Amino acid sequence: MVRRAGPALGLLLLTASLVVGADLFGARAALFGTAAPPPRAAASTRVDPFTSVDNSRRPVKTSLRSQPWWQEVGRFDAKQGASRFRISEGAIQWRVKWTCERGQFVVRSPAREEPLVDKACGADGSAVLSDKVDGELEIAAEGPWTARVEQQVDVPLVEPPLPAMTAPSARKVAGGRFYRIDQVGRGRMTFHRLASGRYALRLSDFYVTPNVDLEIRLHPLRAPRSTPQYLSAPSKNVAALDITAGSMNFVLPAGVDPRRYRSVVIWCPIITSAYAAATIKPA
Amino acid sequence: MIARLRNRAGQLTAAVAEPVKSPPPPRPADPGSEPAAGPHLKLGTRRIPVILPRRGDPRLKISAVIVALQVLGQTALDFKLSIAQILVTIGVCAVVDTGVTLKRQGVLAWPASALLTGNSIAFILRASGTKHGDWWSLNGIEYFVLAALVSLLVKYLVRPGGRHRFNPSNIGILWVLLVIGPVHVFPQYLYWGPLGIPVVAALAVIVLGAIWVLRAVKMLPMALAFLVPFTALIAAFAAAGRSFVAIWSEDPISGFDYWLRICASPELLVFVCFMMSDPATAAKTPVGRTIYGAATAVVAAGLVYFQPTEFGIKVAILASLTVVCALVPLIELAARRLRQRSEHDEVPGLASSLRTLGAGAFGPTRIAVILITVTAVVGTAALAQNRDLIFIERGLTGPRNAQ
Repeated sequence: MVRRAGPALGLLLLTASLVVGADLFGARAALFGTAAPPPRAAASTRVDPFTSVDNSRRPVKTSLRSQPWWQEVGRFDAKQGASRFRISEGAIQWRVKWTCERGQFVVRSPAREEPLVDKACGADGSAVLSDKVDGELEIAAEGPWTARVEQQVDVPLVEPPLPAMTAPSARKVAGGRFYRIDQVGRGRMTFHRLASGRYALRLSDFYVTPNVDLEIRLHPLRAPRSTPQYLSAPSKNVAALDITAGSMNFVLPAGVDPRRYRSVVIWCPIITSAYAAATIKPA
Repeated sequence: MIARLRNRAGQLTAAVAEPVKSPPPPRPADPGSEPAAGPHLKLGTRRIPVILPRRGDPRLKISAVIVALQVLGQTALDFKLSIAQILVTIGVCAVVDTGVTLKRQGVLAWPASALLTGNSIAFILRASGTKHGDWWSLNGIEYFVLAALVSLLVKYLVRPGGRHRFNPSNIGILWVLLVIGPVHVFPQYLYWGPLGIPVVAALAVIVLGAIWVLRAVKMLPMALAFLVPFTALIAAFAAAGRSFVAIWSEDPISGFDYWLRICASPELLVFVCFMMSDPATAAKTPVGRTIYGAATAVVAAGLVYFQPTEFGIKVAILASLTVVCALVPLIELAARRLRQRSEHDEVPGLASSLRTLGAGAFGPTRIAVILITVTAVVGTAALAQNRDLIFIERGLTGPRNAQ
C-alpha cells in the first residue's frame, strides 16, 4: 500500500504541476498572483463621468494602471435642490468638499440607515471616504450650500484631442516618441499651435512609471539620457502630470513656445530623477 | 574526520566524459569487518568510505567556468543575483545529494554533480526584486531552494531504466519558471550588456571554457549540431518578421537584432556548452549526440517561434532540452539503426526495436517522464498568450515591476 502511495503521490504532484505550469483554468494566477490587473474601462474625461462621456465611443478597456488621480464626479449647489451622484465601482476612495451656512450637511446612501456624512454647517468642510457604496448617493443641506464630489481612480485617462487642436486654424508643429531614462516611458507626444497663438501638448498611448507630483518639462538638450544630463541645463515646467497612463491634453502656459526647446522630459522632483524623455522633432 | 589517505583520491568516481556507469554501491561499512581501503570517515565504530573529487573530472571544469562567470556577473555584468542565493542553492544541492548518496551507497562522496546543479540553477534563475550588488540578499530564496529540490527529486525518483533521464538543473529551473511563473521568477536575460570589456570577457570565458570542457566530454559535434540548425531557423524567423519584447529594450526586438540577441547570447552558449553537454543525460554515441543536438535545436526553434517575450524564448530553449532528454532512448535507437544500416548489418524491425526499449510498458516512471515532457511543451506554449509576461517585459507594471 505504502509502496504504491509514493508513486501515486508523485504522479499527482506532476499532474498538478502540469495544471499550474500551463496556467490551466488560471491556476497559476490564482496561486501565485498576477502582474497584470484585470482590464477595466479607461476614463474618458477628467470630470463627471456620468454626464460628459461621449456615448458614441465604447470605453477603451485596459490593464494599464495610472498613478491614482482625482476625477471630478460633480459640483452641486442649493439651487439644484437634492443632488444625486454615483461613485464608480473601481474608485479607490472619494471625497466631498462643501460650504453651507446652517443646519447639517448630509450625504446619504439609500442602502444604509446611517448617513455617510453628517456634519454641522458653519464653515467649509470636507470628508474623504473609502466606503464602497452601490447606487446613487444624495446630498441634503439647509439654506445655501455648494458641494464638489471627486473620486480617486487609477485607470488611464483616454481623452479625445481638444477641439482647439483640430480647429482649421490650428496646426501640429512638432512631435516625438518617449524613451526611458530612469524609469519606463512610452508613447507619443505632439505639440499643436492653437488659433489663439498658445500651444497645447497631447500625449498619446502614453505610459510612465507611476509616481506622485511628476512634471512635464521642456529641456534644451535634444536627447537627455540621464538625470545628470537633465540637470546640466535649466528646463521649463509646463504642466503637472497627475495621470501617468493614457492619452491626454495639456495647454501650455501663455508665452511658452515648445519650438525653442529640444526635448520633453518627465521629471520627478521628489526623488530628483528624470523618468523619461522625448526628442522634439518639427512636424 | 578523514582518517587516512591511502590511494589517489577519487578513483571510485565515474568520469563524466564517458558513458556514466554507476559504480557498484559499496556496502555500508560493517563495524566488524576489515577497514575499507582508501580515505574514510570514522564515526564511532563505523567507517564510511570517502570519495573525494578527481582532478580530471570534467564537472570540476564546468564548475570552474560557471564560477568565473558568476564572478563576472557579480562584479561587472550586473547580474540580479546575490552571493547568498548562490551559496544557499549550492548548499542545498550538496547536502541533499550527499545525504542520498550516503543513505543509498553508504559512502560519503564529493557531490560534484550536485554542486554543478546548484551552481547552474543560481546562474540562470532570478528572483524578482533582487537587485545587483545586494550580495547577501535572501530575496526569493525559496524559489532557488525549490528549484534545487525539484532537480534532485526528479534525478533520484524519475529513473526509467535505472538512470535519470532529465538534466537536473534544467528540469528544476524549468519547473520553477513555469509553475511559480513570471510574477516571482525570471531567467537571466539573453542580453548581458553592450559589447564592452565585461561582455567580451564573459564570452572569452565561455568560448575557452567550452573548448576545454566539450573536448573532454567529446561533445563539440553535439554543440555544432545544435548551433547550426538553431541559428539558421532563428534567422528564418527574423526574416519572417518575428519579434519579441524584453524589459531591457525600449522597442520590440526584430530583424537582425532578433537573430543577434538570441543566437549570440552568452546565455544560449552557456546552455549549449554547459547544460546540454551533460553526458549523463545526453545521447551516448557520436551519431546519437549529433541527432540529440539537432533535435534540441529544432524543438527549441519550434517553441521559440510563438514566443513574443524574452521570458518565453528562454523558457522555450530550456524546455527543448527537457523534451529531447525524454526522447534520448529513441534517439539512441535511431542512431543504432543508422549505424547498422551504414555497416550493412541486419536491421531489426522497428517494432522489435521499440520492444527492446520497453515501449508499451507504462509504469509510474514512464508516466512521470510523459507528464514532465507534456508540462514542458504545454506550459511553454501557454506562455505565448500570457498577459503578465507582456506587462512585465514591457515594463508596464509600474512600481510592482517583477524584474
